[in-house]
Amino acid sequence: MTMTDLLQNQIQKEISELTDSINLIVDNFKTLRNPLAESHEKVPIAARQLDKVTEQTEAAANRMLDMLETITERQGEVITGLETIKGEVEKQGAEELTTLANSLVEKVNTNLNDAYSIMDALQFQDITSQQVNHAVSLLEDLGGKLQTIVTAFHGNPPEETAEEMPRKERAFDPRADMNDKKTNQADIDNLFNNRA
Amino acid sequence: MAQTILVVDDSPTVVKFVSFSLKNSGFNVISACDGMDAIEKISNMSQKVDLVITDLNMPNLDGYGLIDTLRHNEQHRETPIIILTSEEGSEDKVKGMNVGASSYLVKPFKSSLLLNEVSKYLEV
Repeated sequence: MTMTDLLQNQIQKEISELTDSINLIVDNFKTLRNPLAESHEKVPIAARQLDKVTEQTEAAANRMLDMLETITERQGEVITGLETIKGEVEKQGAEELTTLANSLVEKVNTNLNDAYSIMDALQFQDITSQQVNHAVSLLEDLGGKLQTIVTAFHGNPPEETAEEMPRKERAFDPRADMNDKKTNQADIDNLFNNRA
Repeated sequence: MAQTILVVDDSPTVVKFVSFSLKNSGFNVISACDGMDAIEKISNMSQKVDLVITDLNMPNLDGYGLIDTLRHNEQHRETPIIILTSEEGSEDKVKGMNVGASSYLVKPFKSSLLLNEVSKYLEV
């Protein structure tokens, strides 16, 4: 056997091994395609579920705000009524009743302030909806990338599923947070007051 | 006659919450769900808008676009505009300031803080 024959045999052997390896990789990719396609199909379902969370917390927060509005109006009427009663019992010199009326007015005012604090706290809905929108947006990006991979394996894009929905336009702050305020209002006001 | 404030935010919860605080302090409140809606409402209004409170991140037209449009309109060149946003970065504040906002409030906020900011421009 000449040197050329030996080299040719060696090359043929290498090419055969390489072909086997490529076939194995292709087979592995084929087995990967189905789970990837399934994952791709699940993305819109997950996005829809997350949107549902936003819709339902929004509806609940709005119902709470409506109720708090009614409560604060009612508390205002109670204060007005108590002030009238207080005026009458003061005229009669009933000290105990005056003290009681004063204490009740104070309690109603505390209730009112608590209602306003609950209203302030309900802003969690806006902040968490932005966080959810950010998560959905990341999921949708992931879905797009999975589609590209599945298409590359198969040659055509994956079939549209019943769950496929047009993308919503999402406007959100990806850093929205209930806590961790890094600046105080006085600093912001200073910046705006000292503008050139 | 009550002064009129336009509240612009794509979150119905924020609009409801802010409107309640302002109405409770005697203001007339009009709301819009984004910048485009705000411009449409403001153009069709017979009464004067005394102050605008706007979010930044909104679909169709964001807060920066809205402020820029209002500042290029003769009628609203001087109208006080308060930005109400969860964007806390210094670049957002500078951008808001450069585009012509009067004040900047970061969400979440206390209603007392909002009223304090409004009182700098209108009588509460």
